[in-house]
Amino acid sequence: MRSLPRLRWAALALLVTGCALAARESTPVASPGRTSRAIAEARGDVRVSPDGKRTAVRYAGWTTRDFGAFRSYAYDDVRPEPPVQKAVMPMGVVGDPKKGRALFLDRQKGPCSGCHLVPGDDVWPAGSVGPDLSTLADRTLPDAYLYQQLWDPRVTFPVTVMPPWGAQGVFTPEEIVHLVAYLQTLHGPPPPEKDADRNPFTRRKPTGFGDNLDPTNNPAVVRAEEAQALWSARGPKGKACADCHAGLPQTAMRGVATRYPRVVAEYGRVMSLEDFLSVHAAATTGRALPSESAANLDVTLLVKMASNGLPVAVDTTSPAARAAIERGRASFYRRVGERNHACADCHTPDHGANKFLGGRFLGDVTGGLTRHSPTWRTSQNDVWDMRKRMQWCMTPLGANMLAADAVEYAELELYLTTFDVGKPINAPGIRH
Amino acid sequence: MAGAMTRRSALGTFGAVGAALATGTLSIGTPARAQAQGQSQALGLQESVQDGLKRVFGGRPMKDGAALIKLDIPPIAENGAVVPVSVEVNAPMTPASHVKSIWIVADKNRIPIIAKATLTPEAGQAFVGANVRLGETTDVRAIVEQSDGTLLTAKREVKVTVGGCGG
Amino acid sequence: MSDIGKIRIRVPSNVKAGDVVRVRCLVIHPMEIVQRDAQGKIIDRNYNYITRVTATYLGKPVVAFDLTQSVSENPAFSFALKATAPGPVKVTFVDTHGGKYEATADIAFA
Repeated sequence: MRSLPRLRWAALALLVTGCALAARESTPVASPGRTSRAIAEARGDVRVSPDGKRTAVRYAGWTTRDFGAFRSYAYDDVRPEPPVQKAVMPMGVVGDPKKGRALFLDRQKGPCSGCHLVPGDDVWPAGSVGPDLSTLADRTLPDAYLYQQLWDPRVTFPVTVMPPWGAQGVFTPEEIVHLVAYLQTLHGPPPPEKDADRNPFTRRKPTGFGDNLDPTNNPAVVRAEEAQALWSARGPKGKACADCHAGLPQTAMRGVATRYPRVVAEYGRVMSLEDFLSVHAAATTGRALPSESAANLDVTLLVKMASNGLPVAVDTTSPAARAAIERGRASFYRRVGERNHACADCHTPDHGANKFLGGRFLGDVTGGLTRHSPTWRTSQNDVWDMRKRMQWCMTPLGANMLAADAVEYAELELYLTTFDVGKPINAPGIRH
Repeated sequence: MAGAMTRRSALGTFGAVGAALATGTLSIGTPARAQAQGQSQALGLQESVQDGLKRVFGGRPMKDGAALIKLDIPPIAENGAVVPVSVEVNAPMTPASHVKSIWIVADKNRIPIIAKATLTPEAGQAFVGANVRLGETTDVRAIVEQSDGTLLTAKREVKVTVGGCGG
Repeated sequence: MSDIGKIRIRVPSNVKAGDVVRVRCLVIHPMEIVQRDAQGKIIDRNYNYITRVTATYLGKPVVAFDLTQSVSENPAFSFALKATAPGPVKVTFVDTHGGKYEATADIAFA
């Protein structure tokens, strides 16, 4: 973790603030080249080897594929959405429905079943974000129409959330011919449903993982309890958090988390608790708390939990906050990646929210999705904050993730938090 | 300390980490090794569920325990890493007649015999729970052994779900 | 500082003599799973996982669990006990690396 001498950091902050003052309403606050204070695997770096091969540096087990060819969330990525493409079905390819069905279910591609139900006991778990295709062939749509739909559905439906699979190169023209052949076999009536859970329109909703504040249920609570000693532990400068913030974190920090993320004037940008700790801890105690480090998450947990039960109260009225929220909202609706998806495609009631994407029940942003963060993830056996969740989303969408502490994510997080305003903080959560 | 951070007030005290004992050298259990060591009841072996049941129970008859055994497990598990299971048996727990053992089994797991609970009458009720790992959609069985040697079994299917777009 | 071996126990508060109460405990532990190499062959090494949980009440055994790698990381366990007198419930966890972790909670009568 890099730590700039105090004077240089102050100068940098002034420079950044200066940029903000100059064009507050329309220009991003952070300069694109700003140094990240995240751990190595959370910086969004892409390494280029001598032979030109590009490999992304990400968390262990995450794909290392470079999605640089596709639009990202970076404010300086001014590439437009991929242009809408008309397509003509290739001649001389005989569609094979069996191949088409295998492609439909292929998890390396869509899978198409992630959004669309089709018949078959082996179809598990299909999603309900898109229409049920089980009897699509009854509509006797021309092959060419279906081909265009799979190549780029925006030709027919300009505001669809369905990706332009062919235009983006996820499927080859030949593969799409096979898919069309398969779809044209789906005549009704569909076989009787033996299992109500197979069908995402009748499937039981997930019931969650129980009491998030019970330490015999949520390991994150144990982790936070065990981390309390960090509060009074002396850092390299001989100071502890408790020296300025006297007492235990649950009293010293009570109410603080309700105001985050917020515009921090000293650093000239929106910051979450995690972002602020990554600069504040080093500046005061000398202890490095790089973004996405275990220690940063531990202290974030302590500070967030100190506001449990208190209503979220982020600033939504000052000019700087309003401008940041607007940029965050724009990010939320921005189409990115190979899939050309926006957060809104999955997480608003008009589109995917409260429906199944494969087996995942999609969250609704309007209900507020940040007050339980950082959250214990049972599938990861680890604590995830909002940024890691945003970064993770980038890999299925096929867009390079940004640094965990990127201002783009911070402003997006602030936008998301506006939906939690007035609701009680309840962290850490426990989720899949 | 716990009560201040959480709303639970009836928490017990928590213990300290004990001193480590001499390190053993255990390697992956195979049925052959278990056989050689005379451990027909050994746990942790990678085997088919049929082999495992045969090895542990030796073909003893198992009665249908559906009426007496409450096997509580989510019908759809959001992931296979943490699946809460509990087993409650409607049977006495007296010194003369009690539930002696409860096994939790997942047919499709590589290690299908997941855990064995051994109870005493002091338990007062034949109830145990644990968080288990499931490799894939599978039947999960509870096998109950009573003090007179009677075996009862009940099972439920658990579907393990996955995401639709990479997760 | 690793949290491995940290334990939490929950016991109910308004207990009367003769009540059958449920106890729940959680231990922080990796419960390492079997790994396979690129060819699918099991990597044979000493995986660190809890093999045995024992619970006593007033010094007498109540329940014991024999575990395998099919049990979750940071596992939680529940069991019942018949509350006859106020006193300690002790849970002990033993893992394959020789770790032994213990914790106690008190059953208090209302």
